[in-house]
Amino acid sequence: MIAPSMSEARATCLPAVPLHDLRAVWFQLAGTLCNLSCRHCFNSSGPRDPWLAPLESAVVRAHLEEAESLGVREIYFTGGEPLLHPDILPLLEAALAVAPTTVLTNGTLIDDGLADRLAILAAGSAYSLEIRLSVDGATAEEHDAIRGRGTFGRVLAAARRLSLRGLHPIVTAVEGLDRTPRAEPLYGRLRATLRAAGVERPRIKILPVLPLGRCDGGESRRLSPADLDGVDTDRLECAQARVVAAGGIYACPILAGLAVARVGTARLTDALGPVTLAHRACVTCHETALTCRNA
Amino acid sequence: MPERVSRIALLGGIYANDLALQAVLADARQRGAEAIHCLGDLGGFGPHPDAIFPLLDAAKAECVQGNYDLAVAQGAADCGCGYTDPRDNAFARVSYAYTVRHTSPVTRRRLAALPPQRRILVGAWRLLLVHGSPRQINEFLWESTTPDGLLERWCRQLDTDVLCFAHTGLKWHRALASGRHAINAGAVGRPENDGTPRVWYTLVTATPDLQVEFVPVAYDHEGLARAMERASLPPEFVETIRTGWWTSCLEVLPVKERARGAY
Repeated sequence: MIAPSMSEARATCLPAVPLHDLRAVWFQLAGTLCNLSCRHCFNSSGPRDPWLAPLESAVVRAHLEEAESLGVREIYFTGGEPLLHPDILPLLEAALAVAPTTVLTNGTLIDDGLADRLAILAAGSAYSLEIRLSVDGATAEEHDAIRGRGTFGRVLAAARRLSLRGLHPIVTAVEGLDRTPRAEPLYGRLRATLRAAGVERPRIKILPVLPLGRCDGGESRRLSPADLDGVDTDRLECAQARVVAAGGIYACPILAGLAVARVGTARLTDALGPVTLAHRACVTCHETALTCRNA
Repeated sequence: MPERVSRIALLGGIYANDLALQAVLADARQRGAEAIHCLGDLGGFGPHPDAIFPLLDAAKAECVQGNYDLAVAQGAADCGCGYTDPRDNAFARVSYAYTVRHTSPVTRRRLAALPPQRRILVGAWRLLLVHGSPRQINEFLWESTTPDGLLERWCRQLDTDVLCFAHTGLKWHRALASGRHAINAGAVGRPENDGTPRVWYTLVTATPDLQVEFVPVAYDHEGLARAMERASLPPEFVETIRTGWWTSCLEVLPVKERARGAY
Protein backbone atom coordinates (compact mmCIF):
# COMPACT_ATOMS: atom_id res chain seq x y z
CA MET A 1 0.00 0.00 0.00
CA ILE A 2 1.22 3.48 -0.81
CA ALA A 3 0.28 6.12 1.73
CA PRO A 4 -2.78 8.09 0.68
CA SER A 5 -2.58 11.80 0.06
CA MET A 6 -3.44 14.29 2.79
CA SER A 7 -6.90 14.88 1.27
CA GLU A 8 -7.55 11.14 1.08
CA ALA A 9 -6.49 10.75 4.69
CA ARG A 10 -8.92 13.45 5.79
CA ALA A 11 -11.66 11.68 3.92
CA THR A 12 -10.98 8.50 5.88
CA CYS A 13 -10.80 10.41 9.18
CA LEU A 14 -7.24 9.31 9.83
CA PRO A 15 -4.56 11.95 10.39
CA ALA A 16 -1.64 12.17 8.00
CA VAL A 17 1.85 13.48 8.63
CA PRO A 18 4.16 14.88 5.95
CA LEU A 19 7.84 14.04 6.00
CA HIS A 20 9.62 17.00 7.59
CA ASP A 21 13.19 15.92 6.88
CA LEU A 22 14.65 12.53 6.13
CA ARG A 23 16.92 12.47 9.17
CA ALA A 24 17.15 8.72 9.75
CA VAL A 25 17.10 5.67 7.53
CA TRP A 26 16.53 2.37 9.26
CA PHE A 27 17.41 -1.04 7.85
CA GLN A 28 15.42 -4.04 9.07
CA LEU A 29 18.62 -5.94 8.45
CA ALA A 30 17.75 -9.29 9.96
CA GLY A 31 14.07 -9.11 9.16
CA THR A 32 12.39 -10.77 12.11
CA LEU A 33 15.10 -13.39 12.54
CA CYS A 34 16.35 -13.39 16.12
CA ASN A 35 18.07 -15.80 18.52
CA LEU A 36 15.60 -14.81 21.27
CA SER A 37 11.79 -14.83 21.47
CA CYS A 38 11.10 -12.00 23.89
CA ARG A 39 7.72 -11.92 25.55
CA HIS A 40 7.03 -8.33 24.53
CA CYS A 41 8.58 -8.24 21.04
CA PHE A 42 6.59 -5.76 18.97
CA ASN A 43 7.40 -7.48 15.69
CA SER A 44 7.26 -11.06 17.01
CA SER A 45 10.84 -11.86 16.07
CA GLY A 46 12.25 -15.28 16.80
CA PRO A 47 14.61 -18.04 15.67
CA ARG A 48 12.19 -19.96 13.47
CA ASP A 49 10.38 -19.03 10.26
CA PRO A 50 10.76 -15.25 10.35
CA TRP A 51 7.69 -13.62 8.84
CA LEU A 52 9.89 -10.83 7.48
CA ALA A 53 12.99 -11.91 5.55
CA PRO A 54 16.47 -10.47 6.17
CA LEU A 55 17.64 -7.82 3.70
CA GLU A 56 20.01 -8.73 0.91
CA SER A 57 23.36 -6.95 1.23
CA ALA A 58 23.11 -5.42 -2.25
CA VAL A 59 19.78 -3.85 -1.31
CA VAL A 60 21.32 -2.33 1.81
CA ARG A 61 24.28 -0.92 -0.09
CA ALA A 62 22.05 0.62 -2.78
CA HIS A 63 19.89 2.32 -0.19
CA LEU A 64 22.89 3.57 1.77
CA GLU A 65 24.09 5.32 -1.36
CA GLU A 66 20.65 6.81 -1.92
CA ALA A 67 20.38 7.88 1.73
CA GLU A 68 23.66 9.76 1.45
CA SER A 69 22.45 11.65 -1.60
CA LEU A 70 19.30 12.61 0.31
CA GLY A 71 21.36 14.14 3.14
CA VAL A 72 20.44 11.59 5.78
CA ARG A 73 21.83 12.25 9.25
CA GLU A 74 21.67 8.80 10.88
CA ILE A 75 21.59 5.12 9.92
CA TYR A 76 20.08 2.38 12.09
CA PHE A 77 20.47 -1.41 11.78
CA THR A 78 17.74 -3.41 13.47
CA GLY A 79 15.78 -6.64 13.27
CA GLY A 80 15.27 -9.16 14.68
CA GLU A 81 18.84 -9.47 15.76
CA PRO A 82 20.99 -7.59 13.22
CA LEU A 83 24.18 -9.29 14.37
CA LEU A 84 22.82 -12.50 12.84
CA HIS A 85 23.10 -10.99 9.35
CA PRO A 86 26.00 -12.76 7.58
CA ASP A 87 27.39 -9.44 6.25
CA ILE A 88 26.88 -7.35 9.35
CA LEU A 89 30.47 -6.12 9.66
CA PRO A 90 31.05 -5.11 6.00
CA LEU A 91 27.62 -3.47 5.94
CA LEU A 92 28.42 -1.58 9.12
CA GLU A 93 31.64 -0.38 7.55
CA ALA A 94 29.70 0.80 4.49
CA ALA A 95 27.13 2.58 6.65
CA LEU A 96 29.80 4.28 8.74
CA ALA A 97 31.29 5.72 5.58
CA VAL A 98 28.00 7.53 5.01
CA ALA A 99 26.73 8.60 8.43
CA PRO A 100 26.73 7.78 12.14
CA THR A 101 25.29 4.33 12.58
CA THR A 102 23.49 2.57 15.40
CA VAL A 103 23.02 -1.17 15.87
CA LEU A 104 20.04 -2.30 17.96
CA THR A 105 20.92 -5.66 19.49
CA ASN A 106 19.99 -7.95 22.35
CA GLY A 107 23.71 -8.17 23.09
CA THR A 108 23.83 -11.89 23.62
CA LEU A 109 26.11 -12.47 20.61
CA ILE A 110 28.75 -9.90 21.57
CA ASP A 111 31.74 -11.86 22.80
CA ASP A 112 35.27 -10.46 23.14
CA GLY A 113 36.07 -11.14 19.49
CA LEU A 114 33.03 -9.31 18.14
CA ALA A 115 33.52 -6.45 20.62
CA ASP A 116 37.08 -6.08 19.30
CA ARG A 117 35.89 -5.99 15.69
CA LEU A 118 33.20 -3.42 16.50
CA ALA A 119 35.78 -1.27 18.29
CA ILE A 120 38.06 -1.42 15.22
CA LEU A 121 35.19 -0.35 12.96
CA ALA A 122 34.31 2.50 15.33
CA ALA A 123 37.89 3.73 15.50
CA GLY A 124 38.16 3.66 11.70
CA SER A 125 35.21 5.97 11.12
CA ALA A 126 34.84 9.71 11.64
CA TYR A 127 31.24 9.02 12.61
CA SER A 128 29.95 7.48 15.81
CA LEU A 129 29.10 3.80 15.97
CA GLU A 130 26.44 3.41 18.63
CA ILE A 131 25.53 0.02 20.04
CA ARG A 132 22.10 -0.13 21.63
CA LEU A 133 21.56 -3.01 24.03
CA SER A 134 18.11 -4.12 25.13
CA VAL A 135 17.99 -4.68 28.90
CA ASP A 136 14.43 -5.03 30.14
CA GLY A 137 14.74 -4.78 33.89
CA ALA A 138 17.28 -4.00 36.57
CA THR A 139 17.61 -7.60 37.77
CA ALA A 140 18.04 -11.00 36.17
CA GLU A 141 14.62 -11.95 37.50
CA GLU A 142 12.87 -9.08 35.67
CA HIS A 143 14.91 -9.27 32.46
CA ASP A 144 15.04 -13.06 32.05
CA ALA A 145 11.28 -13.35 32.55
CA ILE A 146 10.91 -11.30 29.37
CA ARG A 147 13.96 -12.25 27.30
CA GLY A 148 14.81 -15.79 28.38
CA ARG A 149 16.89 -17.51 31.02
CA GLY A 150 20.50 -16.45 31.28
CA THR A 151 20.17 -13.48 28.94
CA PHE A 152 20.62 -10.85 31.66
CA GLY A 153 24.11 -12.05 32.49
CA ARG A 154 25.02 -12.21 28.81
CA VAL A 155 23.84 -8.70 27.95
CA LEU A 156 25.53 -7.22 31.03
CA ALA A 157 28.74 -8.93 29.96
CA ALA A 158 28.33 -7.38 26.50
CA ALA A 159 27.76 -3.95 28.04
CA ARG A 160 30.94 -4.34 30.06
CA ARG A 161 32.96 -5.52 27.05
CA LEU A 162 31.81 -2.58 24.93
CA SER A 163 32.34 -0.10 27.73
CA LEU A 164 35.90 -1.32 28.29
CA ARG A 165 36.62 -0.62 24.62
CA GLY A 166 35.22 2.92 24.78
CA LEU A 167 32.03 1.92 22.94
CA HIS A 168 29.83 3.03 25.83
CA PRO A 169 26.53 1.39 24.87
CA ILE A 170 23.08 2.92 25.02
CA VAL A 171 20.91 0.62 27.11
CA THR A 172 17.24 0.64 26.14
CA ALA A 173 14.58 -0.70 28.47
CA VAL A 174 10.84 -1.04 28.08
CA GLU A 175 9.06 0.30 31.14
CA GLY A 176 5.69 -1.09 32.14
CA LEU A 177 6.23 -4.81 31.56
CA ASP A 178 6.94 -5.60 35.19
CA ARG A 179 3.82 -5.12 37.31
CA THR A 180 5.64 -5.45 40.64
CA PRO A 181 5.39 -2.19 42.63
CA ARG A 182 8.87 -0.63 42.94
CA ALA A 183 10.05 2.23 45.13
CA GLU A 184 12.24 3.67 42.38
CA PRO A 185 11.61 4.02 38.62
CA LEU A 186 13.40 1.66 36.26
CA TYR A 187 15.81 4.38 35.06
CA GLY A 188 17.48 4.79 38.46
CA ARG A 189 17.53 1.09 39.29
CA LEU A 190 18.99 0.19 35.91
CA ARG A 191 21.65 2.87 36.25
CA ALA A 192 22.73 1.42 39.58
CA THR A 193 22.77 -2.11 38.16
CA LEU A 194 24.90 -1.11 35.20
CA ARG A 195 27.39 0.75 37.36
CA ALA A 196 27.64 -2.22 39.71
CA ALA A 197 28.30 -4.45 36.71
CA GLY A 198 31.28 -2.34 35.65
CA VAL A 199 29.56 -0.29 32.98
CA GLU A 200 31.40 2.94 33.52
CA ARG A 201 29.08 5.44 31.83
CA PRO A 202 25.56 4.08 31.72
CA ARG A 203 23.50 5.65 28.95
CA ILE A 204 19.85 4.73 29.27
CA LYS A 205 16.83 5.14 27.02
CA ILE A 206 13.41 4.18 28.37
CA LEU A 207 10.75 3.03 25.90
CA PRO A 208 7.03 2.39 26.32
CA VAL A 209 5.27 -0.94 25.73
CA LEU A 210 4.00 -1.04 22.17
CA PRO A 211 0.60 -2.65 21.60
CA LEU A 212 1.48 -4.96 18.76
CA GLY A 213 3.32 -8.17 18.04
CA ARG A 214 3.47 -10.22 21.23
CA CYS A 215 1.94 -7.34 23.24
CA ASP A 216 -1.06 -6.98 20.97
CA GLY A 217 -3.97 -6.63 23.36
CA GLY A 218 -6.57 -6.06 20.67
CA GLU A 219 -6.66 -2.30 21.29
CA SER A 220 -8.88 -0.76 18.63
CA ARG A 221 -8.40 2.97 19.20
CA ARG A 222 -7.02 5.01 16.32
CA LEU A 223 -5.91 8.61 16.10
CA SER A 224 -8.22 11.19 14.58
CA PRO A 225 -7.10 14.42 12.90
CA ALA A 226 -8.28 16.28 16.02
CA ASP A 227 -5.71 14.36 18.11
CA LEU A 228 -2.96 16.18 16.23
CA ASP A 229 -4.36 19.68 16.78
CA GLY A 230 -1.59 21.76 18.32
CA VAL A 231 0.85 18.83 18.22
CA ASP A 232 4.32 19.30 16.78
CA THR A 233 4.12 16.41 14.34
CA ASP A 234 7.67 17.03 13.14
CA ARG A 235 8.93 15.10 16.16
CA LEU A 236 7.13 11.90 15.11
CA GLU A 237 9.38 9.20 13.75
CA CYS A 238 7.38 8.99 10.53
CA ALA A 239 8.03 12.72 9.96
CA GLN A 240 11.78 12.16 10.11
CA ALA A 241 12.56 8.61 9.08
CA ARG A 242 11.96 5.80 6.63
CA VAL A 243 12.66 2.10 6.98
CA VAL A 244 14.07 -0.24 4.39
CA ALA A 245 12.78 -3.77 4.96
CA ALA A 246 11.93 -6.80 2.88
CA GLY A 247 9.06 -5.84 0.59
CA GLY A 248 9.69 -2.12 0.41
CA ILE A 249 10.04 1.14 2.27
CA TYR A 250 8.04 1.66 5.45
CA ALA A 251 6.93 4.64 7.50
CA CYS A 252 8.51 3.75 10.84
CA PRO A 253 10.61 1.07 12.53
CA ILE A 254 7.75 -0.13 14.71
CA LEU A 255 5.56 -0.98 11.73
CA ALA A 256 8.25 -2.18 9.31
CA GLY A 257 7.01 -5.05 7.20
CA LEU A 258 3.31 -4.29 7.73
CA ALA A 259 1.34 -3.45 4.61
CA VAL A 260 -0.45 -0.60 6.40
CA ALA A 261 2.88 1.20 6.83
CA ARG A 262 4.41 0.61 3.43
CA VAL A 263 5.06 3.90 1.66
CA GLY A 264 7.15 2.74 -1.28
CA THR A 265 8.40 -0.32 -3.03
CA ALA A 266 11.93 0.28 -4.20
CA ARG A 267 13.54 3.70 -3.81
CA LEU A 268 13.64 5.98 -0.76
CA THR A 269 13.18 8.92 -3.10
CA ASP A 270 9.74 7.62 -4.03
CA ALA A 271 8.73 7.02 -0.40
CA LEU A 272 8.88 10.54 0.97
CA GLY A 273 5.18 11.38 0.79
CA PRO A 274 2.85 11.87 3.76
CA VAL A 275 2.10 8.96 6.07
CA THR A 276 -1.33 8.04 7.42
CA LEU A 277 -1.35 7.31 11.15
CA ALA A 278 -3.52 4.27 10.69
CA HIS A 279 -2.20 1.84 13.30
CA ARG A 280 -2.97 1.53 17.01
CA ALA A 281 0.77 1.82 17.71
CA CYS A 282 0.52 5.37 16.31
CA VAL A 283 -1.57 6.20 19.41
CA THR A 284 1.29 5.08 21.69
CA CYS A 285 3.83 7.03 19.67
CA HIS A 286 1.65 10.15 19.82
CA GLU A 287 0.82 9.87 23.52
CA THR A 288 4.28 8.99 24.80
CA ALA A 289 6.30 11.24 22.46
CA LEU A 290 8.26 8.09 21.61
CA THR A 291 11.27 8.51 19.41
CA CYS A 292 12.94 5.36 18.17
CA ARG A 293 16.16 7.25 17.46
CA ASN A 294 18.88 7.54 20.09
CA ALA A 295 17.89 11.02 21.26
CA MET B 1 25.09 42.86 3.46
CA PRO B 2 27.46 44.66 5.88
CA GLU B 3 30.91 46.01 5.03
CA ARG B 4 33.27 43.27 3.93
CA VAL B 5 35.90 42.20 6.47
CA SER B 6 38.72 39.70 6.28
CA ARG B 7 38.85 38.42 9.87
CA ILE B 8 36.02 37.75 12.31
CA ALA B 9 35.62 36.10 15.68
CA LEU B 10 32.83 33.57 16.14
CA LEU B 11 31.58 33.04 19.68
CA GLY B 12 29.57 29.96 20.69
CA GLY B 13 27.30 29.84 23.76
CA ILE B 14 28.17 32.49 26.35
CA TYR B 15 25.99 30.93 29.05
CA ALA B 16 25.95 33.97 31.35
CA ASN B 17 29.72 33.70 31.86
CA ASP B 18 30.68 37.39 31.77
CA LEU B 19 34.27 36.81 32.93
CA ALA B 20 35.05 34.42 30.07
CA LEU B 21 33.35 36.75 27.59
CA GLN B 22 35.49 39.71 28.69
CA ALA B 23 38.66 37.68 28.22
CA VAL B 24 37.56 36.36 24.82
CA LEU B 25 36.62 39.80 23.52
CA ALA B 26 39.98 41.22 24.61
CA ASP B 27 41.83 38.34 22.95
CA ALA B 28 39.85 38.68 19.71
CA ARG B 29 40.58 42.42 19.56
CA GLN B 30 44.25 41.77 20.17
CA ARG B 31 44.32 39.22 17.34
CA GLY B 32 42.80 41.66 14.90
CA ALA B 33 39.22 40.47 14.60
CA GLU B 34 37.35 43.14 12.66
CA ALA B 35 33.93 41.93 13.72
CA ILE B 36 32.51 39.76 16.48
CA HIS B 37 29.62 37.41 15.84
CA CYS B 38 27.87 35.50 18.58
CA LEU B 39 25.94 32.35 17.72
CA GLY B 40 23.34 32.55 20.49
CA ASP B 41 22.63 31.16 23.97
CA LEU B 42 23.66 34.20 25.95
CA GLY B 43 22.20 32.81 29.18
CA GLY B 44 22.05 29.47 30.99
CA PHE B 45 24.55 27.65 33.23
CA GLY B 46 26.45 30.73 34.50
CA PRO B 47 25.56 33.36 37.10
CA HIS B 48 25.16 36.70 35.27
CA PRO B 49 22.66 36.70 32.37
CA ASP B 50 22.16 40.48 32.54
CA ALA B 51 25.88 41.21 32.25
CA ILE B 52 26.25 39.85 28.70
CA PHE B 53 24.58 42.41 26.41
CA PRO B 54 26.57 45.36 27.80
CA LEU B 55 29.83 43.56 26.98
CA LEU B 56 28.63 42.56 23.51
CA ASP B 57 27.39 46.09 22.84
CA ALA B 58 30.73 47.58 23.82
CA ALA B 59 32.42 45.24 21.33
CA LYS B 60 29.78 46.04 18.66
CA ALA B 61 29.09 42.31 18.46
CA GLU B 62 26.21 40.93 16.37
CA CYS B 63 24.20 37.94 17.58
CA VAL B 64 21.82 35.34 16.30
CA GLN B 65 19.19 33.88 18.59
CA GLY B 66 19.81 30.63 20.43
CA ASN B 67 17.20 28.31 21.88
CA TYR B 68 17.92 29.65 25.36
CA ASP B 69 17.42 33.23 24.19
CA LEU B 70 14.16 32.30 22.50
CA ALA B 71 12.87 30.39 25.54
CA VAL B 72 13.71 33.17 28.02
CA ALA B 73 12.25 35.81 25.72
CA GLN B 74 9.02 33.90 25.33
CA GLY B 75 8.75 32.79 28.95
CA ALA B 76 8.69 29.17 27.75
CA ALA B 77 8.26 26.29 30.19
CA ASP B 78 11.79 25.00 29.57
CA CYS B 79 15.00 25.97 27.81
CA GLY B 80 14.23 23.96 24.69
CA CYS B 81 17.76 22.61 24.76
CA GLY B 82 16.63 19.36 23.16
CA TYR B 83 17.65 16.92 25.90
CA THR B 84 15.77 13.64 26.14
CA ASP B 85 17.36 12.08 29.22
CA PRO B 86 15.87 12.71 32.69
CA ARG B 87 19.25 13.52 34.28
CA ASP B 88 20.06 16.04 31.54
CA ASN B 89 16.62 17.58 31.88
CA ALA B 90 16.87 17.82 35.68
CA PHE B 91 20.04 19.93 35.41
CA ALA B 92 18.55 21.93 32.54
CA ARG B 93 15.52 22.83 34.71
CA VAL B 94 17.74 24.20 37.50
CA SER B 95 19.77 26.28 35.09
CA TYR B 96 16.72 27.62 33.25
CA ALA B 97 14.83 28.57 36.40
CA TYR B 98 17.88 30.51 37.65
CA THR B 99 18.36 32.27 34.31
CA VAL B 100 14.71 33.31 34.04
CA ARG B 101 14.77 34.67 37.62
CA HIS B 102 17.88 36.74 36.91
CA THR B 103 17.00 38.10 33.46
CA SER B 104 15.62 41.63 33.42
CA PRO B 105 12.77 42.74 31.15
CA VAL B 106 15.26 44.84 29.18
CA THR B 107 17.48 41.84 28.48
CA ARG B 108 14.43 39.78 27.66
CA ARG B 109 13.34 42.28 25.01
CA ARG B 110 16.82 42.27 23.50
CA LEU B 111 16.81 38.46 23.37
CA ALA B 112 13.41 38.48 21.68
CA ALA B 113 14.71 40.82 18.97
CA LEU B 114 17.64 38.64 17.93
CA PRO B 115 17.39 37.19 14.41
CA PRO B 116 17.45 33.40 13.88
CA GLN B 117 20.23 33.69 11.30
CA ARG B 118 22.66 36.11 9.71
CA ARG B 119 24.48 36.13 6.40
CA ILE B 120 27.86 37.83 6.29
CA LEU B 121 30.89 38.06 4.05
CA VAL B 122 34.45 37.34 5.14
CA GLY B 123 36.59 38.21 2.16
CA ALA B 124 34.70 36.62 -0.70
CA TRP B 125 33.37 33.81 1.47
CA ARG B 126 29.63 33.79 2.14
CA LEU B 127 28.92 32.70 5.70
CA LEU B 128 25.55 31.65 7.13
CA LEU B 129 25.36 31.94 10.91
CA VAL B 130 22.75 29.97 12.89
CA HIS B 131 22.56 28.63 16.43
CA GLY B 132 21.74 24.90 16.14
CA SER B 133 21.31 24.02 12.49
CA PRO B 134 19.72 25.71 9.48
CA ARG B 135 16.55 23.68 10.03
CA GLN B 136 16.20 23.63 13.81
CA ILE B 137 17.34 26.06 16.48
CA ASN B 138 18.22 23.28 18.95
CA GLU B 139 19.61 20.59 16.65
CA PHE B 140 22.87 19.21 18.01
CA LEU B 141 25.48 19.09 15.25
CA TRP B 142 28.22 17.03 16.87
CA GLU B 143 31.35 16.30 14.92
CA SER B 144 30.77 12.56 14.98
CA THR B 145 27.10 12.69 14.00
CA THR B 146 27.03 15.27 11.23
CA PRO B 147 27.63 13.64 7.86
CA ASP B 148 29.36 15.39 5.00
CA GLY B 149 26.39 14.59 2.73
CA LEU B 150 24.05 16.61 4.95
CA LEU B 151 26.43 19.58 5.22
CA GLU B 152 26.98 19.67 1.46
CA ARG B 153 23.24 19.52 0.86
CA TRP B 154 22.57 22.40 3.25
CA CYS B 155 25.32 24.54 1.72
CA ARG B 156 23.90 23.92 -1.76
CA GLN B 157 20.29 24.54 -0.76
CA LEU B 158 21.10 27.65 1.25
CA ASP B 159 23.58 29.02 -1.24
CA THR B 160 26.36 29.47 1.27
CA ASP B 161 30.08 28.69 1.36
CA VAL B 162 30.56 28.39 5.12
CA LEU B 163 27.96 27.12 7.53
CA CYS B 164 28.57 28.32 11.12
CA PHE B 165 26.71 27.01 14.16
CA ALA B 166 27.21 26.12 17.84
CA HIS B 167 24.68 24.73 20.42
CA THR B 168 26.71 21.64 21.33
CA GLY B 169 29.48 23.39 23.28
CA LEU B 170 32.14 21.40 21.42
CA LYS B 171 34.08 23.02 18.59
CA TRP B 172 34.97 21.45 15.26
CA HIS B 173 35.70 22.40 11.68
CA ARG B 174 35.41 20.39 8.49
CA ALA B 175 36.54 21.32 5.00
CA LEU B 176 34.10 19.63 2.64
CA ALA B 177 34.94 17.98 -0.67
CA SER B 178 33.19 20.78 -2.57
CA GLY B 179 35.52 23.38 -1.04
CA ARG B 180 32.86 24.61 1.37
CA HIS B 181 33.27 24.58 5.14
CA ALA B 182 31.30 23.73 8.29
CA ILE B 183 32.29 25.29 11.62
CA ASN B 184 30.95 24.54 15.06
CA ALA B 185 32.24 27.42 17.19
CA GLY B 186 31.96 25.52 20.48
CA ALA B 187 31.26 27.64 23.58
CA VAL B 188 32.69 30.66 25.30
CA GLY B 189 30.86 30.13 28.58
CA ARG B 190 31.80 26.57 29.41
CA PRO B 191 35.05 24.65 29.02
CA GLU B 192 35.57 22.06 26.34
CA ASN B 193 35.24 18.84 28.42
CA ASP B 194 39.00 18.45 28.04
CA GLY B 195 40.17 18.71 31.64
CA THR B 196 41.28 22.34 31.48
CA PRO B 197 39.24 25.37 32.58
CA ARG B 198 40.05 27.44 29.46
CA VAL B 199 37.35 28.29 26.94
CA TRP B 200 37.52 28.63 23.16
CA TYR B 201 36.40 30.92 20.40
CA THR B 202 36.94 30.77 16.64
CA LEU B 203 38.82 33.10 14.29
CA VAL B 204 37.76 32.94 10.65
CA THR B 205 40.11 34.65 8.23
CA ALA B 206 40.01 35.10 4.44
CA THR B 207 43.59 35.08 3.13
CA PRO B 208 41.86 34.77 0.53
CA ASP B 209 41.62 31.02 1.35
CA LEU B 210 39.50 30.34 4.38
CA GLN B 211 41.51 29.87 7.58
CA VAL B 212 39.76 28.57 10.68
CA GLU B 213 41.58 28.81 13.99
CA PHE B 214 40.25 27.74 17.36
CA VAL B 215 41.69 29.96 20.07
CA PRO B 216 41.96 28.86 23.72
CA VAL B 217 41.49 31.56 26.34
CA ALA B 218 42.34 31.41 30.02
CA TYR B 219 40.18 33.61 32.24
CA ASP B 220 39.34 34.13 35.91
CA HIS B 221 37.50 30.82 36.15
CA GLU B 222 37.97 30.70 39.91
CA GLY B 223 36.20 34.06 40.19
CA LEU B 224 33.33 32.66 38.15
CA ALA B 225 33.22 29.48 40.24
CA ARG B 226 32.94 31.55 43.42
CA ALA B 227 30.19 33.70 41.89
CA MET B 228 28.31 30.52 40.95
CA GLU B 229 28.66 29.24 44.51
CA ARG B 230 27.34 32.53 45.89
CA ALA B 231 24.40 32.20 43.49
CA SER B 232 23.74 28.66 44.79
CA LEU B 233 24.07 27.16 41.34
CA PRO B 234 24.56 23.36 41.38
CA PRO B 235 27.98 22.14 42.58
CA GLU B 236 28.14 20.00 39.45
CA PHE B 237 28.20 23.19 37.31
CA VAL B 238 30.88 24.74 39.51
CA GLU B 239 33.01 21.61 39.25
CA THR B 240 32.89 21.89 35.45
CA ILE B 241 34.13 25.48 35.57
CA ARG B 242 37.01 24.50 37.89
CA THR B 243 38.07 21.20 36.30
CA GLY B 244 37.10 21.58 32.67
CA TRP B 245 35.22 18.29 32.71
CA TRP B 246 31.50 18.23 31.97
CA THR B 247 29.51 16.76 34.84
CA SER B 248 25.97 17.43 33.58
CA CYS B 249 24.02 17.29 30.34
CA LEU B 250 26.28 14.44 29.27
CA GLU B 251 23.65 11.94 28.20
CA VAL B 252 23.04 13.75 24.93
CA LEU B 253 26.65 13.25 23.81
CA PRO B 254 27.30 10.71 21.03
CA VAL B 255 29.65 7.90 21.96
CA LYS B 256 32.80 9.36 20.41
CA GLU B 257 32.39 12.69 22.21
CA ARG B 258 31.31 10.98 25.43
CA ALA B 259 34.39 8.77 25.46
CA ARG B 260 36.69 11.82 25.40
CA GLY B 261 35.41 13.21 28.71
CA ALA B 262 36.02 12.10 32.28
CA TYR B 263 32.41 11.08 33.05
